[in-house]
Amino acid sequence: MSAEAVHAIIDDIGSLLLFTMILIVAAGQIYRAIYAVAAQSLLIAVAAAVLATATGNSDLWVIAAITLAVKAIVLPWVLHLVVQRMNVRREVEAVIPIAATLALAVVIVVVSFQLSTSLGPVRQAITGNALPVGIALTLTGVLVMATRKTALTQMVGLFASENGIFFTAMAVTQGMPLIIEIGVILDVILAALVMTILVLRVRSTVDADIADLDRLRG
Amino acid sequence: MLTTRDRRILSAIDVTGSAVLLALTLVLAREVALGGPRAFGFLRVDDLGLVFLLLLVVLTLAVSIYTVGWLKQAVSVGNMKAELLRSYFALVHAFVATMVVTVLADNLGVLWIAMEGTTITSAVLIGYHGHHHGLEAAWKYIIVTTIGISFGLFGTVLIYAAAADVQAGAGAMSWSAIMDIAPRLDPGIVRIGFIFVMVGYGTKAGLAPMHLWLPDAHSQAPTPVSALLSGVLIKCALLGVIRFQTIAAAACGPEFPAGVLLTFGLISVVVATPFILAQHDLKRLLGYHSVEHVGIVALGLGFGGPVGTYGALLHVVNHGITKALAFFAAGTAIARYGSRDMRVIRGLLGVAPIGATLLMLAALSLAGVPPFSIFVSELMVLRAGIGNGHWVAIAIFLTMVVVIFAGLLHHASSMAFGETAAAASREREAWFPLLGMVLLAAIMVLLGLGIPASIDGPLRRATEIIVG
Repeated sequence: MSAEAVHAIIDDIGSLLLFTMILIVAAGQIYRAIYAVAAQSLLIAVAAAVLATATGNSDLWVIAAITLAVKAIVLPWVLHLVVQRMNVRREVEAVIPIAATLALAVVIVVVSFQLSTSLGPVRQAITGNALPVGIALTLTGVLVMATRKTALTQMVGLFASENGIFFTAMAVTQGMPLIIEIGVILDVILAALVMTILVLRVRSTVDADIADLDRLRG
Repeated sequence: MLTTRDRRILSAIDVTGSAVLLALTLVLAREVALGGPRAFGFLRVDDLGLVFLLLLVVLTLAVSIYTVGWLKQAVSVGNMKAELLRSYFALVHAFVATMVVTVLADNLGVLWIAMEGTTITSAVLIGYHGHHHGLEAAWKYIIVTTIGISFGLFGTVLIYAAAADVQAGAGAMSWSAIMDIAPRLDPGIVRIGFIFVMVGYGTKAGLAPMHLWLPDAHSQAPTPVSALLSGVLIKCALLGVIRFQTIAAAACGPEFPAGVLLTFGLISVVVATPFILAQHDLKRLLGYHSVEHVGIVALGLGFGGPVGTYGALLHVVNHGITKALAFFAAGTAIARYGSRDMRVIRGLLGVAPIGATLLMLAALSLAGVPPFSIFVSELMVLRAGIGNGHWVAIAIFLTMVVVIFAGLLHHASSMAFGETAAAASREREAWFPLLGMVLLAAIMVLLGLGIPASIDGPLRRATEIIVG
């Protein structure tokens, strides 16, 4: 593949990633947010495969496979299972209206692109528009975590935010060292596991949802 | 023996493990003092890491000793379930292990992975009691610090991109290799990267305004875990900040990271003050106090120069030791009165003279009274600020320190003196908690009287690493 073709494909994937992010922000039901984040992870895996063929870096194939297996299939499936098991009636529960979050997300995207055009030479070290898209995904993921009260939506935000970081990291010319990427994925899995345990424990021991926990103040 | 559930055997293994860790660290410290930094793959021990490692292992040993007695009491009251003890000890040591890796990491990716590892292990420990409050604190902790730390990862990726641009190859993620090429990195991207890292690791360090999880987590965790969280964990995050500070200082001049650190430091000191004054919950008080002291360390790093940096590193050690002692003494007092409300804890001196004395010592030291160690390091930070002419920052800092001094002494003296509350247990003081506390108090007093050469050496060389 020529360098221009890779740039074009990465930019296309980037715009699709931003689209899935908007779906996550706009999701009024937890199922939709989970499907959107699974689709997003799938796109990340495709991006890794494209970069692997383009650069001949075999590490990226491994990352593509792990991302596909863990973030596109297993984690969404676990979330899905928890939703069923807890029989979630309360859905997304936003702190501020979803329309306002969408507006904020648009601001984040614009600012990210603005910020990265101000960077000169280093842009060449990162393929295409991966840097602004990565910053936008990370910040929007954090926005989702900060503006949603229910535990599972917050976890979806975390995965989206992690996806943004991965997208930028794999587009850096050299790619991150494989062992580091695997370590990061492992941490994400463990964090998701511990969060799930906490959610279930809160449910079983104090009979409350995470969203009801607001006693600690001052 | 490994399948036992006997509390005494488990505690013995715990103390032995911590003692071995201390012994190994001392050997490592000697090696480094004689032969300079040593690298082992992703890990590397230099004097900067060594300062933090020494603090970590000393506190781990003290925590293990304290836990012996604490656990006996906690099991008898029903705060800890006897059949869960094995997983408790395993988690505490996994937590300590992730902190050891954080401190020794040379590869910035490994640093991040270990940092997130500390979040995962300690989150489980914070919610260990399974109370409503504990679980709430654990959830808040894991969500806020995971948000924060993902900023840290993004900053790491950006700085890696800058380094890979200059020098291709696997070395581009190792701190020591990046330091060699740091002056040639693109300042624009390093600036953005450093701000991301500062927010990320700053969250974990408890710098305001990202500190919201800290008072909850530090106050709801089991007391030995509180001591580790407040004493070492937030310092490990500071070490992460320092590693990136040196890179940023070399790439875009020392003024930029110093300015960022000063801003966060001042905000932390100012934000913590009203909460310290108005606090009734003893462990929350100590939590807010950590926010203040992390702010002071950031101020020292921000003022910079040899004096400010040395003062900041010394403050890391001093505050770690003192805060752990304070949590121990507070935990013992809380168990005695069955309440964390400082309005209930009265006349401690009458029922537990040694514990009350230790609590007073820790409070005096935390408030910054001479001749205790924190006074010395705060003075150094002040001197560095005056030397560099940061008058506004100095004025704000001094005002807040004076206000906190008065507030803390008021809280401490009202707990120690006066008529003993009827609710207080009049049991004799238990040995093991006292032993752990006296160990820390001795170190605290010694560090106030003078800094021994074996600690001064690593501190000086670590200062050289940061200042360059």
